[in-house]
Amino acid sequence: MAHMGVESERIHFSWVSSAESTKFVRVVNEVTEAVRALGPNRRFVKSHGLDRQSYDEKAA
Amino acid sequence: MSEWKPKIVAFLCNWCSYGAADLAGVSRMEYPPYIRVIRIPCAGRMDPKFALAALREGADGVWVSG
Amino acid sequence: MIGYIDKIKQISKQILEDCKVDMVIGFRRGTVPMMNEPCVAKTEDDVDQFVWDGHCGINLANYLMGRKEKIGIVAKGCDTRNIVTHIIENKIDRDQLYIIGVPCKGMIDRRQVNNRFEGVREVIDQGDTVKIIGADFEEKLDKTDLLQSNCATCTHPNPVIHDELVGDPVEVPTDIDQWADVRKIEAMSTEDKWGYFDDLLKECIRCYACRNACPLCYCPTCFVDESTPQWVGKSQDPIDVRTFHFLRAFHCAGRCTDCGACERACPVGINMRVFTQKLEKDCYDLYGWEAGLTTDVRPPLDTYRADDPEEFIK
Repeated sequence: MAHMGVESERIHFSWVSSAESTKFVRVVNEVTEAVRALGPNRRFVKSHGLDRQSYDEKAA
Repeated sequence: MSEWKPKIVAFLCNWCSYGAADLAGVSRMEYPPYIRVIRIPCAGRMDPKFALAALREGADGVWVSG
Repeated sequence: MIGYIDKIKQISKQILEDCKVDMVIGFRRGTVPMMNEPCVAKTEDDVDQFVWDGHCGINLANYLMGRKEKIGIVAKGCDTRNIVTHIIENKIDRDQLYIIGVPCKGMIDRRQVNNRFEGVREVIDQGDTVKIIGADFEEKLDKTDLLQSNCATCTHPNPVIHDELVGDPVEVPTDIDQWADVRKIEAMSTEDKWGYFDDLLKECIRCYACRNACPLCYCPTCFVDESTPQWVGKSQDPIDVRTFHFLRAFHCAGRCTDCGACERACPVGINMRVFTQKLEKDCYDLYGWEAGLTTDVRPPLDTYRADDPEEFIK
């Protein structure tokens, strides 16, 4: 993905056992922070003929 | 527009992370509300096309967890 | 090169006569210059149509999948690697095949020839040089200047499996950096990479010629044809185009032998090898794996080992 020009921080892989709820929460936080830092995904989105702003408004 | 909220699609294994998510919920732990969980029968069910489809349809991030 | 064809014909006739095979797949002259076409010879007379020169870039391994007959096949280095992959993937049995191995000296890139000359009528491969004949000109060029890009960086020109070789193995160059193109892209910033591929793929007309030419693309239903759910749109939307090329490359990871058939088949001249090459490089870096060299080892994406790399997992 990164090779193609999608930010590698958009995709995360992890291994959390069903007993590790604390790790789950930690990873959710990490992933959220990483994606928040990147900002909206403007690249790999299919626009369906709309520009991003009107797409956002429609999606909201 | 109000503050931007990320959309993260989480592919969680039924037996591992999905269980962990359930446990986190039962234990009333707090975590960011931006993930959209998709339960998969096993992390081995994951396919690159799922991740691409998620991004294509407007997800800001993808998280795969076994 | 020139000497090969007599040997190819001789072996083909012999194995047909001995009933070792039901047919021999080779090349015959195409109707357009620089485009030899596949030819299935079932009789010794058919064999006389066979040719061999620098225009035999099509990967004949493509015609083996699921065949029940005994087949003789003329195969270059990359073709034999694809045959090995087919054997590993149970698409054909080794016992069914009689492989006529051709030590390959590279295939001529017809696009380069057409870019340099107008109205090319005939291109004759003379071994080290290439004679290009047009309506009112005749030129002689070094073959090394006209090779397909994958042939110029080929590290396995000699057949890896064969029943018979038609000539002495060619010298394998050792000073070649076959991943140079990939490294160049890897060094780019995220922004530049995105732009690079946008540029690369903007000509794509989604004809799927690359998929059809590829010996690895044999799924009964390709993901692009699936409609419930539809994983990738059928339009020329840049994201759909990207998804197609990207996923196709993924499906070839650890299997692609960089034979260049996809690139050769592309009507608009997209170098889609930059996708597959990256995955081949990753397989090499992570698992030390090069596709199609042996039938004894299962490919890395097919097996689990405790020491598989897992740094990307949190």
